[in-house]
Amino acid sequence: MLAIEATGLTKHFGPEIRAVDGIDLRVEAGQIFGFLGQNGSGKTTTVRMLTTLLRPTAGTARVAGVDVLANPAEVRRRVGVALQEVGLDELQTGRELLTLQGRLFGLPAKEAREVAARLLEVVTLTEAADRPIRGYSGGMKRRLDLACALVHGPEIVFLDEPTTGLDPVTRDAVWQYVLELNRERGVTFFLTTQYLEEADRLADTVAIMDRGRIVAEGSPAELKATIGTDVVTLTFGSEADAGRAAAALNLFEGVQRVLTAGSEVAVYLPNGAAAVAAIVRLLDEAGAPARTLVLKQPTLDDVFLRATGHHLDDGSPRAAEAAAPGGTR
Amino acid sequence: MNVLAATWLLTARALRESVRQPANEVANAFIPLFFYVVTVGAIGSVAQNAFGVADYKGFQLPVAILQGAAGVASGAGLAMTLDIQSGYFEKLALTSTPRLAIVLGRMLADAIKAVILAGAIIVLALLYGSEFKTGVPGMAVLMAATFGFALAYSGIGVAIALKTGSPQAAQAGFIVFFPLLFLAPTFAPIEVFAAWLEAIARANPVTYILLGMRSLVTEGWDAAALAKGGVAVLAIGAVTLTLTLLALRSRVRQ
Ligand SMILES: Nc1ncnc2c1ncn2[C@@H]1O[C@H](COP(=O)(O)OP(=O)(O)O)[C@@H](O)[C@H]1O
Ligand SMILES: [Mg+2]
Repeated sequence: MLAIEATGLTKHFGPEIRAVDGIDLRVEAGQIFGFLGQNGSGKTTTVRMLTTLLRPTAGTARVAGVDVLANPAEVRRRVGVALQEVGLDELQTGRELLTLQGRLFGLPAKEAREVAARLLEVVTLTEAADRPIRGYSGGMKRRLDLACALVHGPEIVFLDEPTTGLDPVTRDAVWQYVLELNRERGVTFFLTTQYLEEADRLADTVAIMDRGRIVAEGSPAELKATIGTDVVTLTFGSEADAGRAAAALNLFEGVQRVLTAGSEVAVYLPNGAAAVAAIVRLLDEAGAPARTLVLKQPTLDDVFLRATGHHLDDGSPRAAEAAAPGGTR
Repeated sequence: MNVLAATWLLTARALRESVRQPANEVANAFIPLFFYVVTVGAIGSVAQNAFGVADYKGFQLPVAILQGAAGVASGAGLAMTLDIQSGYFEKLALTSTPRLAIVLGRMLADAIKAVILAGAIIVLALLYGSEFKTGVPGMAVLMAATFGFALAYSGIGVAIALKTGSPQAAQAGFIVFFPLLFLAPTFAPIEVFAAWLEAIARANPVTYILLGMRSLVTEGWDAAALAKGGVAVLAIGAVTLTLTLLALRSRVRQ
């Protein structure tokens, strides 16, 4: 069964901004679907259309088998949503807000209270439950906001960048809980992220969004397999050096593909370890010595680079480390 | 979840909020009482000679109640803009609750607060020496009218809030409507007004609400005055509720 199905889904804001530019989605029930893209690529707009907050300019979408335009109320009953920005009423306590949320989804009073207590436990807010939300830290608010998405036991949950800005411990806890709900209860997740690692670790299927379009889609393993076997990433002192190096490397035996991004060059080839020494010599001869050289297995970042022509600037520790001038690994 | 049950849940939430932030409500109560006492103090002793009003304390009582109700009823619009800005409005809009309840819950909370304030103003006015010709049943009718007026009046701020999402606009819009309360026989009977003001006052629905309320206090049961007041409340309510529904539609169907 398909949990989410969209055809030609489009949202334009005025004639200029094509936030979402005709995307097709097919998400199987029980999957964790990772929607990966950098800021402004159209992730949030897609989520808002699928969750009935925004009317598409064109296209159709069915969520839990229900048409989002024809029967939005039924869609809302079936899905849980945690938007990118937390949306809380700071004057209520965590327990009051969660209980009210459950009641508004139609739970009887007693059940709403029980569900609230259980979820507060899950997101480790039991101790703060009876204090006004005003005094919560950012991480606590985010956890409460996530709990709000789950009060009515939805079969599909939309999480829009659920871990952005979270500390690593809380982020791991969120991941853990997503996996648990998915494996044990079969909850389908539509999870947007700008973190490659998050998509790689959690998602059964990843769609890469770029400027309102889906530019690649598949399981992380499939996507990486399309790249080839190994990647040698080189950085140079200037873009001119990088250009000369790329030209030379294109002729190197066994190279499947060479991509340039600024002063960085990625070389895709099988059996990279054996080729490293020869590559270094080749670059010296070409008069474009590399500053750094990293050999690694392909990652989703490589997939992203090939699909979009640029790196995912996700600001995560992993990306920062990869970009820093490090030694050969 | 049906509209009424959901409305009541959200009303309870709004009232809880008032209890947690009592400063607003204290100001809402203080302002009409202050004007009541000051106006009576300034004009009360000459009212009989100037325009034939014997009991000016009773004459001013419904003014204080309407002023109090209008002040309280500015709360819903402002609170709605805060919910929109915090994102909580969307959280509510993502539940399976009818969206109308999100709006009505706020308005109903204001109406309830206005009735409580009206009760307090009546008690204080009686202690101050005002008469009340129709007694306890009349007080009940007066409070019911206050409920209707506050509900209708809060729709102005809510409609602006839903349309603009801006607290400044909600408050500015409210201030624009505030003069309606004074383009009515607020300080003196309509018979002594200059011709231009009388013409405006006779076209102002608030006039009829005020006269209906005042008849309960200073004259006794006057079916015609009450009927006109009731029609005026319904007319204002019909306009503001329509505007509110239109604004709600445009907000949730972007
Ligand atoms: N309400 C809006 N009005 C105008 N432009 C918008 C609106 N919402 C989003 N956009 C634009 O649409 C594009 C996609 O935004 P968004 O869906 O938020 O991307 P993402 O969630 O991937 O960061 C951006 O260029 C953004 O500025
Ligand atoms: Mg976003």
